[in-house]
Amino acid sequence: MTEPVLSVEGLSVDYKVGAGTFHAVRDVSFEMFPGRVLGIVGETGCGKSTLGHAIPRLLPEPPAQIVAGKVIFRGVDLIQVPKWKIPMVRGTGIGMIFQEPINSLDPAFRVSFQVAEAIRVRRLRESGRAMMFTGGPTPFDYSKPRPVGTAESVSHPFLPTLPASGGTAAPEPASVPTTGSLTDEVLEYLRLVRINDPETVLRLYPHELSGGMRQRIMISMALSEKPSLLIADEPTSALDVTIQAQVLTLMKELLEEIQTSILFVSHDLGVIAEVADDVGVMYAGRIVELGPVADVFERPRHPYTKALLRSIPNRYQDDGPLPTLPGSVPNLSRLPPGCSFASRCPLARGECTLDPGPALATPLAPPPRRVNASACYFASEVEGLP
Amino acid sequence: MSSPGPLVETRELVKHFPLHRSLREGLRRGPQRAVHAVDGVSISVDPGKTLGLIGESGSGKTTLGWLIARLYPSTSGQILFEGDEVTRLRGRGLRTWHRNVQMVFQDPIGSLDPRFRVWQIVGEPMRAQEGVHGGALRQRVRELLPTVGLPPDCLDQYPHEFSGGGRQRLSLARALSVNPKLVILDEPTSALDVAVQAQILNRLVALQRERHFAYLLITHNVAAVRYVAHRVAVLYLGQVVEVGAVRDVLERPVHPYTKALLAAVPVPDVRRRKTRYRITGEIPTLIDPPPGCRFAARCPFVIDRCRTEEPLLRELPGRPDRQVSCHRAEEVADVAPELLLTTMAPSGSAPTLEPAGPTAPR
Repeated sequence: MTEPVLSVEGLSVDYKVGAGTFHAVRDVSFEMFPGRVLGIVGETGCGKSTLGHAIPRLLPEPPAQIVAGKVIFRGVDLIQVPKWKIPMVRGTGIGMIFQEPINSLDPAFRVSFQVAEAIRVRRLRESGRAMMFTGGPTPFDYSKPRPVGTAESVSHPFLPTLPASGGTAAPEPASVPTTGSLTDEVLEYLRLVRINDPETVLRLYPHELSGGMRQRIMISMALSEKPSLLIADEPTSALDVTIQAQVLTLMKELLEEIQTSILFVSHDLGVIAEVADDVGVMYAGRIVELGPVADVFERPRHPYTKALLRSIPNRYQDDGPLPTLPGSVPNLSRLPPGCSFASRCPLARGECTLDPGPALATPLAPPPRRVNASACYFASEVEGLP
Repeated sequence: MSSPGPLVETRELVKHFPLHRSLREGLRRGPQRAVHAVDGVSISVDPGKTLGLIGESGSGKTTLGWLIARLYPSTSGQILFEGDEVTRLRGRGLRTWHRNVQMVFQDPIGSLDPRFRVWQIVGEPMRAQEGVHGGALRQRVRELLPTVGLPPDCLDQYPHEFSGGGRQRLSLARALSVNPKLVILDEPTSALDVAVQAQILNRLVALQRERHFAYLLITHNVAAVRYVAHRVAVLYLGQVVEVGAVRDVLERPVHPYTKALLAAVPVPDVRRRKTRYRITGEIPTLIDPPPGCRFAARCPFVIDRCRTEEPLLRELPGRPDRQVSCHRAEEVADVAPELLLTTMAPSGSAPTLEPAGPTAPR
């Protein structure tokens, strides 16, 4: 069986603020496999962005606090990594694309510098002159095997790596590579994300680019780290539909060109249907349904998924009022015991208010094993709902 | 007393935003450059009906809404309201006229004063238009709130105490308070989650049935237009490219841009994702646009004529109630968007109408 790229086990994240403790992510578990796209979908405030940021430890701690769980990436539990070592983890294998490309690019630097910076950091780490994070049985491959013995990295998982005498060490550059000397590589990455006329774009500042171009630059920066996992937090929500379609197509093409897995966080069910292989539906901090996208969208097995899918106005659907959900999302600081969807659920019975529902029994696995898991005791009855 | 004509009509409405000139440019006395936000738009809204305006950002749809509400002065062109020209209204006349047209703005946070209570926010148009004050105003607001689905006892709350959907309901209540004939809805649901969006759209439709408001629904959300609107106008770079009955346009689009826009909308249906119609390139700048069709640079069907001669909005033979601005409308009309994979033809190369077949499955 294929090894998962990432496995998240029982992750719970709280925000401790003046008004109380908000349980933003509660007991989330899933696995991600190479070359597959996992979509996380849910409404505002369901914890999907918190989840996406918690995996590479990008949450501000405090107020955020990871209260339980494991995030195992390449054999290392990222939750256990001490805070001061976190910068060494970032950019090594997990790439991140954020929602607002204009906020993620530095307005004071040209595109060439910003893309080159990502490459430079990778080079320094490869040549052992920057502290880097190694660990676990799987070496960090920057497309090539690490020049470190496996046994060594297990015994000293967080030591800076020096260019070892044995192994296929990368040729060491003479000095810290300058932006100018990296131009060719920067151009290569800009071409990878299908930017027309990259020579001109190199010299531009972020504000001179359109939203779609900025997001492509962000993607190229994320890819320059050669990540085996890409976390995309609403990467197309700020873009227009025709540009969104272009970026989504690009991401799908890149998925095949550079073998990577994508955790795709979005509120847009249409986008998820477009890109994802598997989908996890989040509600009030929990994943309530997890499974292959076709199964979840066509035969939902959780009442919330069903209600969410029905409330989308669809240009192929007939007239009549749009079905709506009664009630509203529960307050994350005062969650009721039991299933948090119970107060709005047409199937709710006595036990639903006592017990949060069955654990998602079947973790994702690469094909051919395909079932969608539902955190509902009455999953079999969901199909009968209107 | 319903007049047979349209409630609101614009004729060749134009709005240019002049660019700031640097001192050097000013001294040279070059021509004033301008952003052509709305460039000759003629649309009409019938009483009690909804016109949807769809387009991407930068298409001028919000500017058009603001022009019709007379929040911007127009550069040229006419706005007719029940047959009377209102483009030149000023002062008291404009103020009285404003009770006919109310607006719901896109941003539910920015459009509500955080220091006002609900009764003050919702009651402000009634106070300004009808001079209602104090207890009488509170009573009017109390009666109004249930029509938009808010509890009547929230009179003394502040906007921050409401969720996004609640704020948009407040905004709607404010717009409806003076019984306008036309409500301009500028992206009323784009800041909301799907479940809340469905509630607001349902309320809009119900209100229209009960009280016969006309809506101008400005949005990029094709699905919302399909659900709420009767007719739809597709805007691209400040010009209308296609107008018609909503179902007809959305199901059988003619203009290449409409086809591309509709095909780009992600549909939550996994079976549909194998076929894509792609337009390359991005929206060009609106500053002094080149002659010819504005979509020519991205259009897969472009011919030389498109680059020199501006297509006019015209009726299509055999398609009543549909207007399209495309030189090749007859030829491209029946090309199904799902069957095309187009990339931008290199300039100068012969355009083809060959369907390229669906994209290869991923």
